[in-house]
Amino acid sequence: MSTGTATSAEVSITRRSVDFRGGSVTVVEAGQGPRIGYLHGMVGLPTHGLPPLVAELARDHTVVAPALPGFSGSTYCNDLRVQSDWVVALSEIADLAGLTGLPLVASSVGAMLAMELVAVRPEAFPGLVLLAPLGLWDADEPVADAFATTLSEQRLILSPNRASTAAIFEDDPTLSDPSERIEDGVSRYLTRTSTASLVWPIPEHGLDLRAHLVRCAVTLVWGEEDRLVPPSYDKRFAAVLPSVVGCHRIAGAGHLTDWDAPAEVAAIVRAALG
Amino acid sequence: MKFVWFHLMPYPDLPKDFPDRYRSVWVDIDPSLYDPAVGHRAYNEYIDQLEFAAGLGFDGVGINEHHSNAYGLMPSPNIIAATLARSTSDAAIVVLGDSVALYNPPIRIAEEMAMLDGISGGRLVAGFPVGSPMDTVFAYGTNPATLRERYHEGMELIRRAWTSDEVFAFNGRYNKLRYVNVWPRPVQKPHPPIWIPGGGSVDTWDYCVDNDLVYCYLSYFGYKAGLATMRGFWDKMAERGKPLNPFQGAFAQFVAVADSEKEAFELYREPAEYFFNSCLHVYAGFADPPGYKTPNTVRAGVEGMVERAAREATARSEAKAADKAADKAADKAADKPTMPKSSSSSQMMSFETMVEKGYVVLGSPDQVISKLREVGTSMNVGHLLTLAHFGNMDNELVRYNTEMLARKVLPEVQPLFENEWEDHWWPRPLPSAQRAEPGR
Repeated sequence: MSTGTATSAEVSITRRSVDFRGGSVTVVEAGQGPRIGYLHGMVGLPTHGLPPLVAELARDHTVVAPALPGFSGSTYCNDLRVQSDWVVALSEIADLAGLTGLPLVASSVGAMLAMELVAVRPEAFPGLVLLAPLGLWDADEPVADAFATTLSEQRLILSPNRASTAAIFEDDPTLSDPSERIEDGVSRYLTRTSTASLVWPIPEHGLDLRAHLVRCAVTLVWGEEDRLVPPSYDKRFAAVLPSVVGCHRIAGAGHLTDWDAPAEVAAIVRAALG
Repeated sequence: MKFVWFHLMPYPDLPKDFPDRYRSVWVDIDPSLYDPAVGHRAYNEYIDQLEFAAGLGFDGVGINEHHSNAYGLMPSPNIIAATLARSTSDAAIVVLGDSVALYNPPIRIAEEMAMLDGISGGRLVAGFPVGSPMDTVFAYGTNPATLRERYHEGMELIRRAWTSDEVFAFNGRYNKLRYVNVWPRPVQKPHPPIWIPGGGSVDTWDYCVDNDLVYCYLSYFGYKAGLATMRGFWDKMAERGKPLNPFQGAFAQFVAVADSEKEAFELYREPAEYFFNSCLHVYAGFADPPGYKTPNTVRAGVEGMVERAAREATARSEAKAADKAADKAADKAADKPTMPKSSSSSQMMSFETMVEKGYVVLGSPDQVISKLREVGTSMNVGHLLTLAHFGNMDNELVRYNTEMLARKVLPEVQPLFENEWEDHWWPRPLPSAQRAEPGR
């Protein structure tokens, strides 16, 4: 395990590397205060600094944020072939990263995995704020196929704001060495590969059969401009989850609400998870 | 040099303005464009053409597999191969091939190919592509992140099933079979020659080098563009100290022969433009799903063949859109109505460009002989997959092109490499005394 500490303008940031199945996963810890977990969505964690929502929450919380295998520099793991492999991996990583037992805010594919884990391991997370989770499918209003598009269209499907997707779709401007830029490109490709792997070809793996086991309090958040998972899916999730305590929509935000509207989402998280 | 008469089997009746009106020829092509009567006629003409070529002395006839695709009407090449196994007698039957990762379990391929080898008396070449992203991850829904692992596991299973003398259990990640026992067994021992069609993945080079298999570059873009890819394969072979036997390489090339170059330009323009402008109208969003490429290929910056086709189609569409916008602006400035442009506008690739870039080897027999020798020697390939039918080419013209090739070109080029190298990757059929006589 290796550790690095930095301090942004207002919060301290610790970046750890934790051994995982012959490789490692990155765990970011930021801020001070009550501990809370953050599980990223389709774009992972940024190489430098913090995701905007984590930066917001770190003002008054200690946020623990692991990068799942293949995402954001965590070692790509060939063993993760089907969704149950990912759920077991999340369970293992949650223990290694100190995420287990913390209230969790989780986004998109991360939210899908968090629900699956809580269904079989209720003590994993005592409360959930889910940002545009995947996991259900309605043929009359299907989830979009983000990867049957050009890169520029993928960006628009994820967010109407270019800045929200820069970390995954643009070269890192701080890198000048050509070989470092190539490896950064490979790392971003693997992040997209891991995301695609989680949703291919249809991001529905029978969650509706297990959703009744997600007994903790759940708050749902959707961006009104979500072009990946239609905002109406909040009703579908509310219908199958037994303890939905709040349902919010954010104007102007796309699928990446944690990047598009961090202050609004942080306010919802503070109210829900305290 | 061995000549395989190769057929893509395109749908011949796409509307003239297809690239303007539709997004892609592949994956989500409009089902209503398919006329079963046109398909019926095309299948039968195409099989006739393959049989015609086999009868004229081509060393082999070749086919491949595509899905949801208007330029390749062969979701199951084994069905076509089965008819050829009966109706031809000497030509190799080159199936390029069965997309291993799409079959569940892949022993189905081992069985069907063993049947083909049996019916044909040992004339099968077994091709095993990973498959294009359009076919595998979009049309067949395979997770791109696991596609290659599935492929390699399937390859291991098929080769073991063909060569094992005992019934065995196979406990793979994706295939769990308690009893693997392929009946019938292939005629060729230890198994039919294996060719690996590739579109530009560096890992496919390694796989062929490591396993002594034929690397087969199925390019649409001719020998000039294909040179770098084939060189990449031969560099890998040289790095490992392996002999650079040209028969371990194969390459696809469009060829158009006539009495003169001028006549060839006149005869083959329309079908070539149909193929390159309509059949390769592939939506770029289908060309590069994340996980399809390995990190090594991403690192090497190698562009896959279908990726290139999609990029060029996008560039043409964008250029056309820009042109229309400019025309509209100019017309507006001149205060006159915008006139529609024909589909043969400047953004369509011209036939002259196709020939200049080497997409199509064209000319008189002497010119084609010279160019095909150049193709063979510059790329060091001993197997040429000759595409003498392309696009919506008329049946008579296909036969003319095929006959010109067979009678005037092949005899001059076939001796290339044959005295210097042994072809270890060509079928070894049963002796004629043991061969059945179909129909009797």
